[in-house]
Amino acid sequence: MRTIEFTLNGERARVSVEPHETLLGVLRQKLAATEVKSGCERGDCGACAVVLNGKAINSCLALAVQAAGRSVVTVRGLGGADHPHPLQTAFIELGAAQCGICIPGMLVSLYAFLEAQPRATRQEVREAIGGNLCRCTGYHKIVDAAEAAARHLVSLEPRS
Amino acid sequence: MSKPGGHPPRFRIVGERAPRPDARDKVHGLLRYADDFALVGMLHAKVVRATRPSARLVKVDTRRAEAVPGVRCVMTAHDVPNNVLFSDVPGQTTAVGPLRARTQVLADDVVRYLGEAVALVAADTEEAAEAAVRLVAIEYEDLPGVFDPEAALSPDAPQIEPTGNVISRWKIRKGDVETGFREADVVVEETYRTPLVDHAFIEPEAGVGWLDENGVITLRVATQVIEHFRDVANVLGLPHSKVRIIAPYIGGGFGGKEDVTVEVFLGLLVWKTTRPVRLCYSREESILSPTKRHPFIMKYKHGAKRDGTLAALEVELISDAGGYAYLSPLTLLYGIVHAAGPYRIPHVKIDGVSVLTNNPPTSAFRGFGSAQPAFAYESQMDALARALGMDPLAFRERNFLHKGERLASGQELETAVLLAETTRRAWSALGPKRQPSGPGKRIGRGLASALTAYGRIVWLHDWSSAWVELQMDGTVLIRTGVPDIGGGQAASLVQITSELLGVAQEEIAVHIGDSALTPLAGTTTATRQLYMSGSAVHKAASELRATLVAQAAELLNVAPELVELADGIASVSGPAGKQVSFKELAAACARSHRPRSSFAIYQAPAGQVMDFETGQGKVFPDFTFGAQAVEVEVDEDTGEVEVLRLAACYDVGQAINRNSVEGQIEGGAAMGIGYALLEEDKVAAGITVTPNLMTYLIPTALDVPDVTTVILESGEGMGPWGARGIGEPAMVPTAPAIANAVFDAVGVRMTRLPITPERLWRAMHAAKVD
Amino acid sequence: MLLPRFEYRHATSLVQAATLLAENPEARPLAGGTDLLVDMRERRQQPRLLVDISELPELSGIALEDGAVRIGGGVTVGELLASPLVAERLPGLHHAAHDFADFLTRNKATLGGNLANASPGADLVVPLLVLDARVTLGGPGGARTLTLDEFLVGPRRTALRAGELVQSIVAPVFGGQQFWYKLGLKRGGAIAVVSVATWLRLDAAGHCTAARVALGAVGPRPFRAMDAEATLMGGPLTPDAIARAADLAAAAAQPITDVRGGSDYRKAMVRALVARGLSQALNGH
Repeated sequence: MRTIEFTLNGERARVSVEPHETLLGVLRQKLAATEVKSGCERGDCGACAVVLNGKAINSCLALAVQAAGRSVVTVRGLGGADHPHPLQTAFIELGAAQCGICIPGMLVSLYAFLEAQPRATRQEVREAIGGNLCRCTGYHKIVDAAEAAARHLVSLEPRS
Repeated sequence: MSKPGGHPPRFRIVGERAPRPDARDKVHGLLRYADDFALVGMLHAKVVRATRPSARLVKVDTRRAEAVPGVRCVMTAHDVPNNVLFSDVPGQTTAVGPLRARTQVLADDVVRYLGEAVALVAADTEEAAEAAVRLVAIEYEDLPGVFDPEAALSPDAPQIEPTGNVISRWKIRKGDVETGFREADVVVEETYRTPLVDHAFIEPEAGVGWLDENGVITLRVATQVIEHFRDVANVLGLPHSKVRIIAPYIGGGFGGKEDVTVEVFLGLLVWKTTRPVRLCYSREESILSPTKRHPFIMKYKHGAKRDGTLAALEVELISDAGGYAYLSPLTLLYGIVHAAGPYRIPHVKIDGVSVLTNNPPTSAFRGFGSAQPAFAYESQMDALARALGMDPLAFRERNFLHKGERLASGQELETAVLLAETTRRAWSALGPKRQPSGPGKRIGRGLASALTAYGRIVWLHDWSSAWVELQMDGTVLIRTGVPDIGGGQAASLVQITSELLGVAQEEIAVHIGDSALTPLAGTTTATRQLYMSGSAVHKAASELRATLVAQAAELLNVAPELVELADGIASVSGPAGKQVSFKELAAACARSHRPRSSFAIYQAPAGQVMDFETGQGKVFPDFTFGAQAVEVEVDEDTGEVEVLRLAACYDVGQAINRNSVEGQIEGGAAMGIGYALLEEDKVAAGITVTPNLMTYLIPTALDVPDVTTVILESGEGMGPWGARGIGEPAMVPTAPAIANAVFDAVGVRMTRLPITPERLWRAMHAAKVD
Repeated sequence: MLLPRFEYRHATSLVQAATLLAENPEARPLAGGTDLLVDMRERRQQPRLLVDISELPELSGIALEDGAVRIGGGVTVGELLASPLVAERLPGLHHAAHDFADFLTRNKATLGGNLANASPGADLVVPLLVLDARVTLGGPGGARTLTLDEFLVGPRRTALRAGELVQSIVAPVFGGQQFWYKLGLKRGGAIAVVSVATWLRLDAAGHCTAARVALGAVGPRPFRAMDAEATLMGGPLTPDAIARAADLAAAAAQPITDVRGGSDYRKAMVRALVARGLSQALNGH
């Protein structure tokens, strides 16, 4: 057992972990970060996606110890009720969430992708969520919302 | 929508793209699903499952498992007070005659399918529970198994039930098919096969149970049926009031959380240990053991005349019920009623049989027996059109039933039947045809039209109830036992209430899914909630509205007809400007002893049980009619099929939430694409070889096109303001539309789903060789 | 299901990692973990020690060196995909990276991991085979370089010795016509049913001055169809030559029948996809 520290959505997190515990397991069970969902535990569904050190990854395939000293961002770190991320606003307005279980992972992937590439084509948006399975929506309104958010993010860019 | 001429819109919020109240918590990660819940002292449970598909349990030795440090409880069949679950019609209180079906809670003596539950473990940690599972030693004596439903029909096959493997037979007789086929100029005969399919909701089955301060076993579980509290109580030998089921928002159901899954296991462990207990299925467990969609073998023979009219139809349906009946008999009933499709056929003979095998058990899944026949009848319709040299659209229109006509089962279509309109609109919404993307690629288009029942079978006397209340602060509260599985079940009720009471959605709270604290609303299945709970809420809110209007009229000293409710204010129309807030109204009601709440029960019009001998009678309250058209590109070298475009058109009666309606159609079409091209739970000799989402493939964002949705609103549905259900109808026409498009592209009729690249390639190759 | 218990060490240098691995035969290197952790969860592997190599500086970087592209074994598939150098100089590899799994998996899975795993259908191996790529293995005693062919011994077996890691891959830049196709059962993140990479160089007269055909998922390991290559060399690239080469490639394939496909279908797909790749080269020339 070792104690690790990392930033979780900008706040300091400190937790005792064993090497075999996954980041997903520790987030959900020891840090009450139940916004990170578990759908398959083997990297097939994307429900557990978080941003670890700037990269969107499946937290079921990361060890908790690998987060030591790093930054972890979940869907709760994208914004909040007071200042939602444009993705979150678009998802609400365009009705992109149905049962909602895939949404945290979906938003994490899109957030990470649009940070790097806000001027994405619709096909590229689909590729960004290629590892996030959804069984309810058929992805249509999710892609619509991602495009709307991307346009908004581009409009916020400082003119150079 | 506003009509030309400046008339006021018919609705304030109904029909709009209103953001759902639950959306906010979902996008901020605040919503807690069944597994997002923990209690102090909570134990972790696991299920020990059979590793053989057909075997006698010679010995189940739990001693080593019990000795694992941290293990609190290991239970087997002899620990279960009443080791039987009835699974005929979940949630109903009406006996349904010959359709009783039963399963064991924990296997005793014999296991009938691989993955059947044999024992339960609860431990302090998940690690201890997993270790204990591995140490439960089961000695099996393999029994002969039967893995093919046709083989299971033979009297020589191993008999899974002492009374035989056939658990259900249904038939429909209309006219005389011999005569009909004699009158036919062309006959098209084919056998269609659909696979075993998994619901693959992203949230696995899960829940937490505990004993509350009153000794009530409380189960917070992902379920479509909170009425399962009765089943759990019966298993435990407890009064019904001693079990409570709470359904949080559920991460997808599709019928896979309709039968009892984790509820009874949690109930047993809580009862035994008196500790809180958590159980969450792994994905492998979810694919392996709970119920699936029935594979159907469908033998179809259609006869048609040169003038393009259908003359006769003979159908044989065989459904694989797997190891236990569950809802197989009812699913088959849906199958035979839908088997003829939405067409006028003078002579019809339909026979269906559902048969036990040692394959995974099958039960409810979106469509509930109406999706499989649609693949068959819509493929047949295309084949018939081509045999007659007719355009597939025109051929269908020639034979579509009209309002007032009857199905082969004798049921009159009493509401608007927009089959022709929906088919034409879906087809034209495909737009200009695309060019192939390269050499060796072919473009094809296909369409399919379908009817799908919504609402529960009429002789089940369906009902729902709801309570709507004006709070003292002027906000509104809805209480109803509806489980929300993602289709906006709760949000619709808020929208309906908002419309009727003139209160903003933000001022309305809704409490759902609690068998102890919310009035029961029935199951979230059978595409019934908008119809039934929507009607119950409509009724309660309307009654409350009348009360508030009367109270306001008194306060404002005007006739009630002059009172308007809008924006949380009761006012009088006209320049006088007299108004009173809802908060003041609440206080006034309290003073004048008027009830500030209304409880309503909505009872669906009931009907007689159909005549099972002739298969004649009204079965369903109503149907939703719709069509889907697709454009595909086929790679002739590899057999790969890409869906380039999909257009759907449905008559939804009246859209309550436009985003939700579109979302159901877009999602249903995606599920249909999976059914057509990707999904098969492959089982060899009773053993699943596709145990995870890497091998059991569901569509990703790269596998589905943009979907164009056209919504028609006839206003003639059974739900509020004439709404119809859309949840199940949304996925029914997709697979046949794709099969028809593939035929259009490469001239090969695929009669078996899924149409994988290899299967299509083999069919094309065989066609070339011939 | 939980992972089995193990000890964990985070390595900060290649020497340290190699030494730890050499000293502990039951240790495994952890790079992206997208294969290893799944194997461990499902109890196909249960190493007692994981040595985390995901941040070794010696395994990083993509650079052009002496007319060849050197890629560190720790480079993720996402980094491969984002690299303009790879896109421009190694289009077949770029294409394979694009088709590899999904966005989330690409952010973790590494080139070295894909090679070391040596799956019969290893996506990144197939395009590298047509490029005469060489693999540098770093171990406790130093580094050694092998051809990719020498590196791949059999199904899930490589020439890696105790303590050795895939340090880097060097792929010469050839120009010419590079083709890659992965036939999978779905468009997003599929495991290969068959994968094909071809590379041709044609002179002004349309004759082949170099030809490579590599196949994945149709044998115990990815391999080059040498007979197919030989039949193309030196001759004009005609439809007949293409058909001959495609037939020879199909003959060389030894696919199995498994949950993803039948062996005869896979053979037929080798023929079809090799023909397609070579025809594209013909049309592109």
